[in-house]
Amino acid sequence: MESSDQEKAVAVIMVGGPTKGTRFRPLSFNTPKPLFPLAGQPMVHHPISACKRLPNLAHIFLIGFYEEREFALYVSSISSELKVPVRYLKEDKPHGSAGGLYYFRNIIMEDNPSHVFLLNCDVCCSFPLTEMLEAHKRYGGMGTVLVIKVSAESANQFGELVADTITNELLHYTEKPETFVSDLINCGVYIFTPDVFTAIQEVSTHREGQANIRHLSSFETLQSPTRALPVDFIRLDQDILSPFAGKKQLYTYETMDFWEQIKTPGMSVKCSGLYLAQFRLTSPHLLAAGDGTKSATIVGDVYVHPSAKVHPTAKIGPSVSISANVRVGAGVRLISCIILDDVEVQENAVVINSIVGWKSSIGKWSRVQADGDYNAKLGITILGEAVTVEDEVVVINSIVLPNKTLNLSVQDEIIL
Amino acid sequence: MKALILVGGFGTRLRPLTLSVPKPLVDFANKPMILHQIEALKAIGVTEVVLAINYQPEIMLNFLKEFEKKLDIKITCSQETEPLGTAGPLALARDKLIDGSGEPFFVLNSDVISEYPLKEMIDFHKGHGGEASIMVTKVDEPSKYGVVVMEETTGKVEKFVEKPKIFVGNKINAGIYLLNPSVLDRIELRPTSIEKEVFPMIAGENKLYAMVLPGFWMDIGQPKDYITGLRLYLDSLRKKSSAELEAGSNIVGNVLVDESAVIGQGCLIGPDVAIGPGCIIESGVRLSRCTIMRGVRIKKHACISSSIIGWHSTVGRWARVENMTILGEDVHLGDEVYSNGGVVLPHKEIKSSILKPEIVM
Repeated sequence: MESSDQEKAVAVIMVGGPTKGTRFRPLSFNTPKPLFPLAGQPMVHHPISACKRLPNLAHIFLIGFYEEREFALYVSSISSELKVPVRYLKEDKPHGSAGGLYYFRNIIMEDNPSHVFLLNCDVCCSFPLTEMLEAHKRYGGMGTVLVIKVSAESANQFGELVADTITNELLHYTEKPETFVSDLINCGVYIFTPDVFTAIQEVSTHREGQANIRHLSSFETLQSPTRALPVDFIRLDQDILSPFAGKKQLYTYETMDFWEQIKTPGMSVKCSGLYLAQFRLTSPHLLAAGDGTKSATIVGDVYVHPSAKVHPTAKIGPSVSISANVRVGAGVRLISCIILDDVEVQENAVVINSIVGWKSSIGKWSRVQADGDYNAKLGITILGEAVTVEDEVVVINSIVLPNKTLNLSVQDEIIL
Repeated sequence: MKALILVGGFGTRLRPLTLSVPKPLVDFANKPMILHQIEALKAIGVTEVVLAINYQPEIMLNFLKEFEKKLDIKITCSQETEPLGTAGPLALARDKLIDGSGEPFFVLNSDVISEYPLKEMIDFHKGHGGEASIMVTKVDEPSKYGVVVMEETTGKVEKFVEKPKIFVGNKINAGIYLLNPSVLDRIELRPTSIEKEVFPMIAGENKLYAMVLPGFWMDIGQPKDYITGLRLYLDSLRKKSSAELEAGSNIVGNVLVDESAVIGQGCLIGPDVAIGPGCIIESGVRLSRCTIMRGVRIKKHACISSSIIGWHSTVGRWARVENMTILGEDVHLGDEVYSNGGVVLPHKEIKSSILKPEIVM
């Protein structure tokens, strides 16, 4: 019987790439989305830290389309900080969510792991990986999918799953259905045993066979409503989860904690807040504290980078994250916002439901705010890099691209 | 003889085009904006051009090497580390502009398109013997700008009035100057405005003269004026060298087409259209008052007016594009899509219509 010391695990985090990055503009002009800070740490840091809590973690791989140099610095610093090798693997072309995993299988399996964790970088959750692994071992299947219950109305934005309530087996899976199937959805976090690579290989071979058959009947090809996918483009959802559901190969593990997808800049404010709230439970020493006497008044969950300077008469929070070298002046009020590196917030300014970009300057008595509707296009005000808001100017529900100076108030606008 | 071109900053008003290239390299009438000015300077014997920039020098420098060789003119950059306004950059480039010969040097604003009567300006400058000459141009709505009040016969400048509330004159600063080296002694290396600080000082000593610009003038720093500017430029080209313009049964008015572009059957192109290198205009396409940049494909039966289509974009079959639509680089408008003033950032696919002016990020 193998002892658990022999059971190594590796983690693969899909970070995506610039071709899919237009939704994260204007913040993505300066930083690849996976490195955008949430609660003071790059987005990808949160799943990475969760993986680090696993016993016998041998390696962490980041797979994406970004240029290697965009991740080089981060990967080397996080490897030495966490003392686990982290490596960025660049896909040369899209292989689909499972195809990418398969494409790098030799590198991923180098340490001979008995379990491969697959996570999506733009997922915000508590990543209960240790509990999920225990469940996965009990089920004894090829894979376990992290799932969560959502409202029936919102379920169809995601992959919906039907699971057996007793065995937790995955019985049925469908991606963004038009009619209601289930309120249980796919969180984008998975555990697989190495036989998943065989399963992906089977799909690829089958598709190759199909393509050859189609080749013989060109009339059929004309009639086919769907484009034939390349043989090495394998989607995890449609090509693996769907067909293998109900065959006692795939199981589900339900999380009762928070879960969100970080698709838009607005959502990053919400997710930053969720992680700050999680810090309150897991690492309260990371959060700021103060009552206005020696240091600023802190309300709720707030992160302040050690190099930032906040005036004692400022009131910060709830749900605020302040990055490196920020200067917050006297009498400033910050609520539900992310203040990025090198920003200067001058006296008596107010910032609510906003993201203030690197090196920006917020003038005295100015007001930068938004409704806080994370799903609306202009529900969170976003100031790009090096934006100057002059004294007493009001900016509401707007997005401002980098290097602009606002000397007049604006509302409900995108400023190029 | 030397010249300084004020290139300045981020070109935010020409976004989304300037999200892909720095503003001086945005094409106008099938040529990078700054090349129009460098060619005009070269034509009157300028041997060295200094570009005063504060943004993306690396990209600029690559292009400049290419122009230097082709035009046989020396091009250097003077980079601001902090914004120096409209006069500060001259002080920064002082060593490059003064060569001991005592010759005056030109200063051009990179956003300006005009006929560049630079030879006439040199004669004007020698004629009045003053310290500085500026070009002014007549406009319909002077209160939008800074008005130059001058003596009509001699051109001697009396004063500058910024956005005047009552009518004081209809000539505004056209952004083309010819300055004696002594002007540099008046400019400190700090953020300074040439209109608010330097010129009024020179005018006060009766040493500043203004020449009225013959021909067209346009500040093409924003899309609306870019499109109007193309009309004026092509008009002027018709008068000076109409052989460069396109002719044919499918052409209306002034149309400029790069020799490597391909136009299909049954199209109607013009007036006031520029089609860049490598473009493919498929059959049955209607284009008017628009700029089609390098590498664009316009598919069959599409209709485009008063718009700018950015590099390597495509416009789908039967698409209708109008009313100041600006497509950034690599934007793909689907078949049958309608865009009314859509401003689309680079690398996007548009599959549904844009019914009223909107920015698509």
